[in-house]
Amino acid sequence: MQILKPATAGTLESSDLMVTLEPGNGGIELSLTSSVMNQYGRQIKKTVLETLERLEVKDAKVTVVDKGALDCTIKARVECAVFRANDASAENIPWGGVIV
Amino acid sequence: MSVSQVYQSDKRAMGKIKALLERVDITLDEHLDYTCAVFDEAGEPIATGSAFGPTLRCFAVDPAHQGEGLLNEIITHLMENRLEKGFFHLFVYTKPGSAKFFQDLGFSVIAEVPGFLVFLENRKDGFPGYLKKLEAKKRPGRNAAIVMNANPFTLGHRYLVETAAKENDTVYLFLLSENAGPIPAAIRHRLVREAVADLPNVVCLETGAYLISSATFPGYFLKTEDKILRTQAALDTALFVRIAQALDIQTRYVGSEPRSLVTGIYNEVLSVALPAHGIECRVIPRRELPDGQIISASTVRQAIHDDRLDSVADMLPETTLAFFRSPEASPIVAAIRRETDVVHY
Repeated sequence: MQILKPATAGTLESSDLMVTLEPGNGGIELSLTSSVMNQYGRQIKKTVLETLERLEVKDAKVTVVDKGALDCTIKARVECAVFRANDASAENIPWGGVIV
Repeated sequence: MSVSQVYQSDKRAMGKIKALLERVDITLDEHLDYTCAVFDEAGEPIATGSAFGPTLRCFAVDPAHQGEGLLNEIITHLMENRLEKGFFHLFVYTKPGSAKFFQDLGFSVIAEVPGFLVFLENRKDGFPGYLKKLEAKKRPGRNAAIVMNANPFTLGHRYLVETAAKENDTVYLFLLSENAGPIPAAIRHRLVREAVADLPNVVCLETGAYLISSATFPGYFLKTEDKILRTQAALDTALFVRIAQALDIQTRYVGSEPRSLVTGIYNEVLSVALPAHGIECRVIPRRELPDGQIISASTVRQAIHDDRLDSVADMLPETTLAFFRSPEASPIVAAIRRETDVVHY
């Protein structure tokens, strides 16, 4: 999926995260801030990148501010931000496909 | 508890927000375009935050409610609101002691006016990235810088650039990026580039969000009281010092300012603060016409406003004059005429 315009999803409240996507300069550029960076930084990064890969996002500037979110939350917030950035309406969301 | 918008017209609620801010020693800014708050059961605000353009400001959390994560809710709300308005690159002003909270929310410090404020942005590579791009343009030798709005470019600007170009190996000419007022930035820049094209050692650059922008220096664009102008000018100077280091700039040239209050204060702050960082600040007296009238872009805008461009023809280089006489300029001229006040305060 292509990042057509900047979009965001999530909040900065505890156990959540805020994902901001912007059109990239060729490739994925991830900036991560997390309240649990030392313990889970690598895992969060992995989940974000895997979700982007599954949605075939190849060119994006990704900013993640994490407040201790669980993996399923991270996945959901990234997916939401991607669909918003792609201008995909509710009907076009591939439920049961790449969104599992 | 949820965050809700507070309308500027709601005098009662705004009064309570002002009181909440004052309890933590913050003055409510006069120029805000969005304010929000969290209210308790009794309808009293317990946390608040505001936005103006790309900047987030005027934060307070009632000391009795600190540690409940209210600031995070306020910031989330303000960020969503700003994104809706099309502002993605966001800035925060806060007291030095509070910077840490914002760093935890993904903001990075750009500069500090010790004892007054810290200025942050919501990306890690923002200012460092801008500096890196500048560094690539660094030239050896004696370097000088001029920052100008050139609204529009006059022979006064030309005189300042020429003076600097004669006394230095390279002059970096920073042009304000912001679209403020009826003359679009792209036109302002084009008129500058055309008018200095014959000076090979002048390099035109853009200020981006980091010098005299509505983020660093909102008072430049909107009437603001002296004390706040001084703090903003000090912040702008702190950013300029970093830029000067990246480009090895030894001297900053400014035109003397007999009329505009804001530019006068800015010059005053620069001439004290820059030498403290080993940068010379050269104030060049304004160029005058033979009849003693000083050349000023405000005077030129006033003349365009009053439909008497010919009366200021001797203040303008051929390039600017030709532009304002061309059909291309007619929508801009019309926009200047619609303005009620075209003189910089």
